[in-house]
Amino acid sequence: MAAHEGSSGKDEIPTFNAENMLNNTRIINYSRTFMSIIGGVIAGILGFTSLTGFIFYFLVMAITSAGLGAKTGFSVHSYFDSWNRIILDGLLSGLLSFVLFWTFAYDIVHIF
Amino acid sequence: MAEDLVLDTAIRNWVLIPLSVVMVLIGVLRYFVSKLMRSDQIPDVKIVKEGQLVIRARNLRSSANFIPAKSFRARRHYYSNEENGLLHVPKGQAQNPQAQMFSDPNMAMDMMKKNLSMIIPQTLTFAWVNFFFSGFVAAKIPFPLTQRFRGMLQNGIDLSTVDVSYVSSRSWYFLNLFGLRGLFSLILGEDNATDDTQRMMQMGGFGFDPTRSLGAEKDNLDIVQHEWALPKFEQRAEAVLKKLVS
Repeated sequence: MAAHEGSSGKDEIPTFNAENMLNNTRIINYSRTFMSIIGGVIAGILGFTSLTGFIFYFLVMAITSAGLGAKTGFSVHSYFDSWNRIILDGLLSGLLSFVLFWTFAYDIVHIF
Repeated sequence: MAEDLVLDTAIRNWVLIPLSVVMVLIGVLRYFVSKLMRSDQIPDVKIVKEGQLVIRARNLRSSANFIPAKSFRARRHYYSNEENGLLHVPKGQAQNPQAQMFSDPNMAMDMMKKNLSMIIPQTLTFAWVNFFFSGFVAAKIPFPLTQRFRGMLQNGIDLSTVDVSYVSSRSWYFLNLFGLRGLFSLILGEDNATDDTQRMMQMGGFGFDPTRSLGAEKDNLDIVQHEWALPKFEQRAEAVLKKLVS
């Protein structure tokens, strides 16, 4: 998280650096993918099935969002243009990876 | 539903794990092979020039408010006047991208290479999975699904009594194919993950039309509402200083 957009006050011209924000968004996607894979393995090992697993996924994503928010020191607007970036960006892109690793770990530990 | 099937541990050791490992390794191999085969073509001077021009115009647009109105108007005139502005493309001079593409055989060659590097490993892996691991249940997904998914998940097993959440090895292959994309973007870097979509774009759009992007940038530049930021900055400085003093 090297980038920032410059200060933001009230009623002022928004000044931000598009490249830095692109970099920040990429970091978000990386963390989300990473967390979804790790979360999938954890869910599989713990043996979650059906709805519990999906709830676990969204829990993990919520934790990721909270972590990203904490990383910005809760001054999200100096790194991103809105809260939605942190909360919603890439929320579903990790789902397929999550399902794969969940199935993989679950099968190895519980099925055989 | 039916009672749980008991799967042989050998299936795990000799099908499930090897299949996933092979998929990952093939993905890595494909990445490096396509990296080796990529020919560094010397970019066309004109295209690079136009790309840089668009970036310059965009920079002007994004920081328009930090220069006085007169300076902004002068710059805008430089870019978008109708006689010799840089962004102005005379009519009829626009090049047809399709024709351009056919005049450059290197481009077609490069695209074919890229496609081949994607198709060949996939076909081979699919044939391998089909040949060795067909006809039995290899895994179980930990959530229930409706009957509709049977064709998707139990590809290769023609039993209607097996619970849908049991997955055949062929379908496990497909699950891997899509699910590992995230892992690849982690271990190989971003460009690998976007490769597929970029390829699709290339195939669909057949290269972008530089003159069109120039025209779009010109339009954008023309509608910019200029408002000089400096007067406001004095107020802002005042506020900051007041905060410091108090």
